[in-house]
Amino acid sequence: MLNLTTLISNNINISNQLTAVEFENISKRFGKFPANDDISLSIENNTVHCILGENGAGKSTLMKILFGMYMPDSGRMKIYDKEVNFNSPHEAIEKKIGMVHQHFMLIEDFTVMENVILGDEITKGIKLDTSGSKKIINELIEKYNLGLDLEKKISEISISAQQKVEILKLLFRDSEILIFDEPTAVLSPLEVEEFFKIIREFKKSGKTVILITHKLNEVRIISDRVSVLRRGKLVYEEDNTDNNLDLGKLSRAIVGESNISETGVKVKNISSFEISLELKNIELYKNKVKFIDRLNLQLKKGEIHGICGVEGNGQNEIVDIITGIEKNFTGEYITKINNISLVPDDRLKKGMIKEFSIGENMILKNEKVNFITNNTLDKNSDEVIQNYDVRVSDKRAQLGSLSGGNQQKVIVAREIELDNDILIFSHPTRGVDINATVFIHSKIIEERNKGKSILLISADLDELLSLSDRLSVLYNGKIIKTFDMNDAEIKVRSELEPEQDTEIIKPLYEQIGKLMIGITN
Amino acid sequence: MNRKSKINLVSISLSLFSTVLIFFLLILIIGKDPFEIFWLIYTDVFTSGYGIGQTLFKATPLIICGCGLAVCFHASLFNIGAEGQLNAGSFVIALVALKLSFLPFPLLLLICFICGFIVSGIFGLIPAYIKVKKDVSEVITTIMFNFIIIALVNFFLVDFFAVKSTMRTEKILDDDMLFKLSDYFPVFNGSSLNAAFLIALIISLLTYIFIYKTKIGYKLRAVGFNETASRYIGIKTDKIIQFAFFLGAGITSLTGINFVFGYKGFYELGFSNNVGFTAIAVALLAKNNPIGIIFSSLLFAVMDYGGLSINQLVPKEIMLVVQGVIILAILSTDRLVNKYYERKVG
Repeated sequence: MLNLTTLISNNINISNQLTAVEFENISKRFGKFPANDDISLSIENNTVHCILGENGAGKSTLMKILFGMYMPDSGRMKIYDKEVNFNSPHEAIEKKIGMVHQHFMLIEDFTVMENVILGDEITKGIKLDTSGSKKIINELIEKYNLGLDLEKKISEISISAQQKVEILKLLFRDSEILIFDEPTAVLSPLEVEEFFKIIREFKKSGKTVILITHKLNEVRIISDRVSVLRRGKLVYEEDNTDNNLDLGKLSRAIVGESNISETGVKVKNISSFEISLELKNIELYKNKVKFIDRLNLQLKKGEIHGICGVEGNGQNEIVDIITGIEKNFTGEYITKINNISLVPDDRLKKGMIKEFSIGENMILKNEKVNFITNNTLDKNSDEVIQNYDVRVSDKRAQLGSLSGGNQQKVIVAREIELDNDILIFSHPTRGVDINATVFIHSKIIEERNKGKSILLISADLDELLSLSDRLSVLYNGKIIKTFDMNDAEIKVRSELEPEQDTEIIKPLYEQIGKLMIGITN
Repeated sequence: MNRKSKINLVSISLSLFSTVLIFFLLILIIGKDPFEIFWLIYTDVFTSGYGIGQTLFKATPLIICGCGLAVCFHASLFNIGAEGQLNAGSFVIALVALKLSFLPFPLLLLICFICGFIVSGIFGLIPAYIKVKKDVSEVITTIMFNFIIIALVNFFLVDFFAVKSTMRTEKILDDDMLFKLSDYFPVFNGSSLNAAFLIALIISLLTYIFIYKTKIGYKLRAVGFNETASRYIGIKTDKIIQFAFFLGAGITSLTGINFVFGYKGFYELGFSNNVGFTAIAVALLAKNNPIGIIFSSLLFAVMDYGGLSINQLVPKEIMLVVQGVIILAILSTDRLVNKYYERKVG
């Protein structure tokens, strides 16, 4: 492990101006999961501050705390050097904080004008004063060069125009601190340029901008300062003077330093050449948006094939295609195996019926059981509790009442017990405690050693590196590189002690980190 | 008793209690003595074999229809179309009974059941199909289908099958009628209680076993709880939705046997007296548990029959108000009690 303090560069105070936002030791937990862990971070007035990190790193949680949507469990927050305690977004808006969410909050059937004034209408008596508002809004459009037609309905305008409407909403409310949650994810490169122009305009007029993003290139262009969150902690900060950010350091900070011994699993390779599943030239469009782009993927018997990439680059679509849930794709999907096990990425939404007990969840996929008695249910749950180390006080309790780790073990148990030849694990240890993680990893290895084909999708690079036999990097719906983890150079690292490890593994992390954000050279 | 059934029990008792309270206040507002009213209901319904018999007789169609709806509700399908579905099925049952009257009675009954079941089932399948293929809410389609089906039945009945200048079919043979329970238990003398009540109990038991004990019932409930997860788990959710609608609507067709085979011997337009809607409340009150539906049906039957006995003092329509209040009470106490327990636990 590198010493984190060396990574955190000195905080150069830009000027003696006010600090726009100051977080002091902010912590927020969801159940046992720490989403924000003792974060202290200050955002200077009149700067563009980027917050980077993987999905689930805690960026959105921190911003939601700032915007009054969540209350922190502990810690303090200051706006312009005055301590605040927000109970609702309404109070944050009063302090001139505005947020553009990843999913826009617009009413499709209202016009641009109606959307902008909604909630903050200027009135004459009980009548809307549209002409008064219109004048103000038109001035704003002029000033920031937004180019919007006030009379058009939201459903008639493009996504980038909708984003401008969201921006206009904030301006209309005189917001001084503007938060953007992954604003460029929905924009084309040209539109990104345009968006940055608007951001620069904000800076000129003295506003403070907070950007949440994944894209390092953009960060280099637009930001004044960068903070990186990982697993709820602030791990890295750097000033971007003269646009000379160290992207290598940044990407490593995002995906994390290695600590492979954590999982305690020794890799044993028995991979063969027999292919159990193949995707050839797969393309998938949803609502005319390309999700999968000429994707080629081979899954061999007895291998763990890892897929890494920033979330939303086609991971879920690959799973849906392989499991047969998504059928509207072009290209070839070749396999002789009918039944495929899936541990889905979102266990509450896709993996289980939380109102059912362990036994009831187990039999859902068991075709042999036709008539259900308490006996079969108890037998099923007893087996899982014993063989998969599930910890419960009442074996008939609803699955929803168990901890995340135990729920995940039940799902893993159900999928493994089906004894299918292909298993897909999508984020198998997300939000799962360390013991359950180790257990699930050992089960995945065990299945691989039985000669099963395993597709492992994860956002956790450590997990992927320690388990995969091959590792493919997915970017924009396409696999842009596949590493053979049994390559001599890479193989060495699995036999190294963690301390020695870092020197060899650092370049690999850096390389993968760059690939994940689309830098291929 | 696990937490879930505890919550259910608390919320049901709470809603019943608040309903009684509101009923009490209503009578006070009207200017009558609530205790006198309660006493009247009690003596009329519970102190004579005739009263009990009539109450059970009135509960019969509610039990059957409620069970059909429970199947749909367990799959999270809000079927508001039972009124139409059961009229179609009951009409067909009466017609088949008339046309095939030469068959021995048990066989005839069986064929009638099957035909009615299929016809009602198909009328349930149409909204399900539209929902699955085009994602149209079943609430809208089933409501509209009530009008369509009643109009269709009206047309066929009046133009082809009705006894002149009435709205009913011919009467089936006396030999083809179900026996009255008073034949074996004289205590029910004079009441219309018949073997359809026993059939209703069997239907409720079978529905219970289907929903809670069979694999397909489990899948149906899984779909109702979480359709996305069910699809990822590998359940063919579209098929389950269509099957649940077919089965649920099919069961409602049997609602008519109480009237056709047990009471009048013919199908008459309007015989159902909005059972298809009342049964929604019945199923809701029982939390869609088919055994519970027997009891909630009895409660509604008491209100129905009790309404007649208090008609001399207060308008019997007050019982419709009470039924409405029950639904509101269940829906609101449910959330209240759930929230309370959530807070208590964590």
